[in-house]
Amino acid sequence: MDRLADVSNLRSSQSQTQISHLALDIGGSLIKLVYFCRYDDSCRDDGDELRSQNDSLCSKSDNSQPVLEGRLHFAKFETSKINDCLDFLHSMKLCLDGSHDGTAPPSNKIFIKATGGGAYKFADLFKEKLGVSLDKEDEMECLVTGANFLLKAVHQEAFTYLDGQKEFVQIDPNDLYPYLLVNIGSGVSMIKVDGDGKFERVSGTSLGGGTFWGLGRLLTKCKNFDELLELSHRGNNRIVDMLVGDIYGGTDYAKIGLSSTTIASSFGKAISDSKELEDYEPEDVSRSLLRMISNNIGQISYLNALRFGLKRIFFAGFFIRGHAYTMDTISVAVNFWSKGEAKAMFLRHEGFLGALGAFMSYEKQCLDGLTVHKMQQKFPISASSAGDNIYCSLNSNSDENGSIECTVYGT
Amino acid sequence: MDRLADVSNLRSSQSQTQISHLALDIGGSLIKLVYFCRYDDSCRDDGDELRSQNDSLCSKSDNSQPVLEGRLHFAKFETSKINDCLDFLHSMKLCLDVNSGSHDGTAPPSNKIFIKATGGGAYKFADLFKEKLGVSLDKEDEMECLVTGANFLLKAVHQEAFTYLDGQKEFVQIDPNDLYPYLLVNIGSGVSMIKVDGDGKFERVSGTSLGGGTFWGLGRLLTKCKNFDELLELSHRGNNRIVDMLVGDIYGGTDYAKIGLSSTTIASSFGKAISDSKELEDYEPEDVSRSLLRMISNNIGQISYLNALRFGLKRIFFAGFFIRGHAYTMDTISVAVNFWSKGEAKAMFLRHEGFLGALGAFMSYEKQCLDGLTVHKMQQKFPISASSAGDNIYCSLNSNSDENGSIECTVYGT
Repeated sequence: MDRLADVSNLRSSQSQTQISHLALDIGGSLIKLVYFCRYDDSCRDDGDELRSQNDSLCSKSDNSQPVLEGRLHFAKFETSKINDCLDFLHSMKLCLDGSHDGTAPPSNKIFIKATGGGAYKFADLFKEKLGVSLDKEDEMECLVTGANFLLKAVHQEAFTYLDGQKEFVQIDPNDLYPYLLVNIGSGVSMIKVDGDGKFERVSGTSLGGGTFWGLGRLLTKCKNFDELLELSHRGNNRIVDMLVGDIYGGTDYAKIGLSSTTIASSFGKAISDSKELEDYEPEDVSRSLLRMISNNIGQISYLNALRFGLKRIFFAGFFIRGHAYTMDTISVAVNFWSKGEAKAMFLRHEGFLGALGAFMSYEKQCLDGLTVHKMQQKFPISASSAGDNIYCSLNSNSDENGSIECTVYGT
Repeated sequence: MDRLADVSNLRSSQSQTQISHLALDIGGSLIKLVYFCRYDDSCRDDGDELRSQNDSLCSKSDNSQPVLEGRLHFAKFETSKINDCLDFLHSMKLCLDVNSGSHDGTAPPSNKIFIKATGGGAYKFADLFKEKLGVSLDKEDEMECLVTGANFLLKAVHQEAFTYLDGQKEFVQIDPNDLYPYLLVNIGSGVSMIKVDGDGKFERVSGTSLGGGTFWGLGRLLTKCKNFDELLELSHRGNNRIVDMLVGDIYGGTDYAKIGLSSTTIASSFGKAISDSKELEDYEPEDVSRSLLRMISNNIGQISYLNALRFGLKRIFFAGFFIRGHAYTMDTISVAVNFWSKGEAKAMFLRHEGFLGALGAFMSYEKQCLDGLTVHKMQQKFPISASSAGDNIYCSLNSNSDENGSIECTVYGT
């Protein structure tokens, strides 16, 4: 794991406090949070005080290993509404550093692990508004750490989606590598993962979630991403897309394997000068856009998987959101281009890989550090991640908030 | 070449007439025409009668080989305005079927007139051509015509292919003995990617639905532009950084050097348009058009490269009417191919980019047809023999095209 020089230096300082049950992934469009709450706290997502938890967590010179049972919680905010996130963190922070007014003594530096571009871009803002320093972790590394962890530790994390059927995939932790991780955020990163901490970002595309949201907003006046997705449910892309059958007069171009319903040109029908934007149904436009972006990602992902001989492609990021049509389109694209050779798989905690990876990067030797304890009774599979520092095992299904039962112990 | 069974059967019929100096490529958005005119005709692009030319061309039992000097002309119409094309062909056709003795466009039932045509429209509009012009479309396979047209242009025309880097256009010397294999990327309404291994040896290995139709369609919806050229023109003046989310925007001005992404690399096309402080009306159409052009061009460059890599191909020729010699488009595609291939692969463009299919269809006329033409080799200027599609057609095209893009050519009948 990368260590920032100044963090290392500060670590020797007695008065340092590290918040180790909260991590951030600040992306181009969304801020993702992971944070831990003990069961006997009144800790809730609305950010109630966590004082009782703090007493245990922040005992400075305690060498015993209190085992803390609780839950990992997940939350997200729009990056454009970063103040909402700061307010939320502020309310959480009150119990974390023992001081209730948010101002810490200058020699008492509070660090939060953060990844994504915003860890750099908003470092000053966090300092100014919360008095917190962001301990920056590499984005790709966090994504991979988060992915490896989820795939190895969580019972039903990965699943395929074909013909409307969701099917969980049994991952053998001894046969996890190599695989291709495709993270669809504002943009898309494609990472070849060969082992724990062994990876390379081999490709990407700028046609990602931000493109769908941005173009969608311009074309339909939708207020947000979810509204755009909702619209697409009811759309008919054939109104907007030019199909092979449209060019060939109803027939297939069988000779080269293109059926009449294959899309020849996305938005190809919109060149018609008999209709303006207002004359198109936003549902149809949204569906075409979703299809276009999803197909394209599926194709480029496959071409990269092929390039490196990878048969498994895991799709992450908040573009998908468990949306049936999206997963279906991506699955069909991967299946089509690979002639069935490669498999598209999705992750339940799709958007939180980076934040989880950052969360996992807290060091255990920090005085107030936490090591997330292995849950043996349910999951005999050991789930170490990122070297010796952090162990974690997550329980079965998440609840409605997506939070996950977890055991943590301090060192 | 594929032969349609009915054409073969008809060929034995004495009363058949084949128009062999005209071919069509009817695509999703555009209809492309190639036609030949003799020098001593009053043949012009506005479709004047070609009577004098026809006398020579249509002599049925002539076994001599008249050499006809003239030009290959190119024209295009929007598929949505197919009637304009039919009118144009109608005016041309008047002089083409004079031997059938009818000047009013209706031919005796036993006298079938065929025009070579490729593209989906050769199927879709077959009935329309029959009904409006009394002409049957002799359908040729689209991929085959593209490849035939490409191989022909690359081997026969002196300065057909060129690279475009850093604003510099540089013609590429093609060694006809070292032409294969290459990747042909035809950017029409949609995109086809064809691996070409030899004369008539090819395979369509990939494609993408994000093509010229996407740029035109999305562009029209977003900017109210009336046509493709207007959209391209707008993009000249645009700044994509208003609309696109760059790496620097996410990382606060810095690069993400560790993974080789500079701060000006586009992280998310149209990523800034998610902002709820601006509506579509608040964006300049120039900026929108430029982002769109960049997005489509980059994507095509990337997928092209991934396919070239897959098959070990170093040369990628881009064709189709998406490019239109537009500097920013060629630059974006070239930069994309260069970026993704780390300089290994080369993007090249073709001067007659949009007419490959029509040329390929044109080349497919058989020489054994009574009225067939064989386009004669021009020896004095181009010693390079330029046979194409087996023994049927020879052609050599001269130097630069004129303003209309037409090309000097010699044709002789058999």
